[in-house]
Amino acid sequence: MATGFFTDTTLCIGCKACEVACKQWNELPSDGFEFTGNSYDNTSELSGTTWRHVAFIEQMTLEEDGLHDRWLMSSDVCKHCTNAGCLEACPTGAIIRNEFDSVFIQPDVCNGCGYCVVSCPFGVVDLIEKFDPQGHHYNLASLVTSRREEERTALAGHGGVAGKCTLCYDRQTLGFTPACAKACPTESIQFGNVEELRERARERVETLAGRGVSAQLYGADDVGGGIGPLNAFFLLTDRPEAYNLPAQPVLPSTRQRAGYTSAAIAVLGLAIAGWVIFRNA
Amino acid sequence: MRNVPSPDEATFGAISRNGETTPVPSYYERPMLKAPHWEWNVITYLFLGGIMGGLGLIQLVADSSRGDERMLKRTARVTSFILAAANPAILITHLGRPERFLNMLRIVKFKSPMSVGVWGLVFYTGAAGANMTRELAIIGILPRRLRFIAPGFMTPLQALLGAFTASYTGVLLSATANPFWGSGKRHIPAMSVCSGLASACALSSLLSVLEGNHTVVPKLERLEMVAGAAELAILADFQRSAGAYATPFFSGERGKKLRTYTIVAGTLAPLALNLLGAAVKLPKPVDAVRTTLASILTLTGGYILRESLIEAGKSSAKDPRAAFRQPE
Repeated sequence: MATGFFTDTTLCIGCKACEVACKQWNELPSDGFEFTGNSYDNTSELSGTTWRHVAFIEQMTLEEDGLHDRWLMSSDVCKHCTNAGCLEACPTGAIIRNEFDSVFIQPDVCNGCGYCVVSCPFGVVDLIEKFDPQGHHYNLASLVTSRREEERTALAGHGGVAGKCTLCYDRQTLGFTPACAKACPTESIQFGNVEELRERARERVETLAGRGVSAQLYGADDVGGGIGPLNAFFLLTDRPEAYNLPAQPVLPSTRQRAGYTSAAIAVLGLAIAGWVIFRNA
Repeated sequence: MRNVPSPDEATFGAISRNGETTPVPSYYERPMLKAPHWEWNVITYLFLGGIMGGLGLIQLVADSSRGDERMLKRTARVTSFILAAANPAILITHLGRPERFLNMLRIVKFKSPMSVGVWGLVFYTGAAGANMTRELAIIGILPRRLRFIAPGFMTPLQALLGAFTASYTGVLLSATANPFWGSGKRHIPAMSVCSGLASACALSSLLSVLEGNHTVVPKLERLEMVAGAAELAILADFQRSAGAYATPFFSGERGKKLRTYTIVAGTLAPLALNLLGAAVKLPKPVDAVRTTLASILTLTGGYILRESLIEAGKSSAKDPRAAFRQPE
């Protein structure tokens, strides 16, 4: 069964309980504190060690009847794409699709090449930095799959591996709801069967429309560019770009054919030139 | 070359209404994508991969010569094997641990240029190794019976695999979610092939001069000129077609470095030097200096081209608007 997240941003109150729950459950280290001045967002982005990120968008517009302000909040996460750029790019087979249809990184297979990082159209995956000798388990996304001390030691001290949301694979195998959805106090993050979630999301858009709120779904249907629908999709009330989501993403592998074709033409041309030059000179 | 708009002027998907353009919102101008974590080791890997592939082509086309190109073929085969063997080592400095390289040999994935590329490298190393062994067996450095290790088809096979290794390094960049690299999906792979062959010719000329094999140098230089001219044409067309997506590559400090080291010093200068060599009969020592200089310039230009591609990719990843609306 395909499971996923429906993140309804109209219900988000920006409490960051999802961020905290994710860090706690997955034993992800702190990324340090950096004051950004960007509304209440000092987390800034998803990373190898931050798998939920609450965006705060404070908008103020001056109109004829006075100042209007709007405060949008949205908890971002790995999209678990139908056709995932990271999964296709991974040269080791570390990135797999598991039985819940989620995109999952096996940290013991990952070799830290970083190709998934540049192949994610949403900028989700990142390398977890090298092991920190102070004793923080920086490269241990492995803890998601294994909490055994010897495995921690086996992976410690080596270069980074790629990290991102696992859709709480371990919790799911035990029948638990992923940590972020479990902790969300407003049901802004809903977990479940993707088909059911999509149905629920479409109803929600209609309900909101009835109340005069214009909302759109992002990723419930095909996002285009060959990526297909997303298993973790969103209900938004502004353009996707306002939430740092791409309006026109592209699946990287769709660019391969053009590349190999033009390279082949170049090779053929140069080989003929070389043949002629060596024959006649 | 023509100036492309700066990122501020770029209008990726801006909405135009009644002649007024509303800029695309962004999330506090923060990057949407993650920048590549690739440094000198990956740049070197791409650079040497191109040369290695080019040498594969050279050892094949040398076969068409009516003269005796045994020495050139031997040099090309030995050098290509050395580069092929060095490349995994360079990659390992990026991966951290040697056994991490082996993780890539668990699977073959046609949708991943890095996966097929690694297999291309492995097979190329095999073909180049067999051809090198034959060469060394013929001249008696290795036992003579080993010359049968590489039957005739190994020569075109190495060329084919070489063409692939020189190509895939370009596809590896362009088949990503990076807007600049993606905008070069047609140009970057072809450019990689041309630059790889030009560098391979330059390295072969340099080694031929050192070996005293002067007769082959003019042929290599002619091929180098063809590859260099093709590279320039592709660069010009790339700048025209990619527009604002290629701003990080062609503009600013990065663009200046590309123009100085790759275009002027790395391609135009060796073109002029090689034309001079073809037109005027210089005294032998002077000609050797000319070849050496042209070769070093071409090789430097090739390295800076790869460095520019990687560094411009890092800048492009930081531009959220380019990433919001990807080139096709």
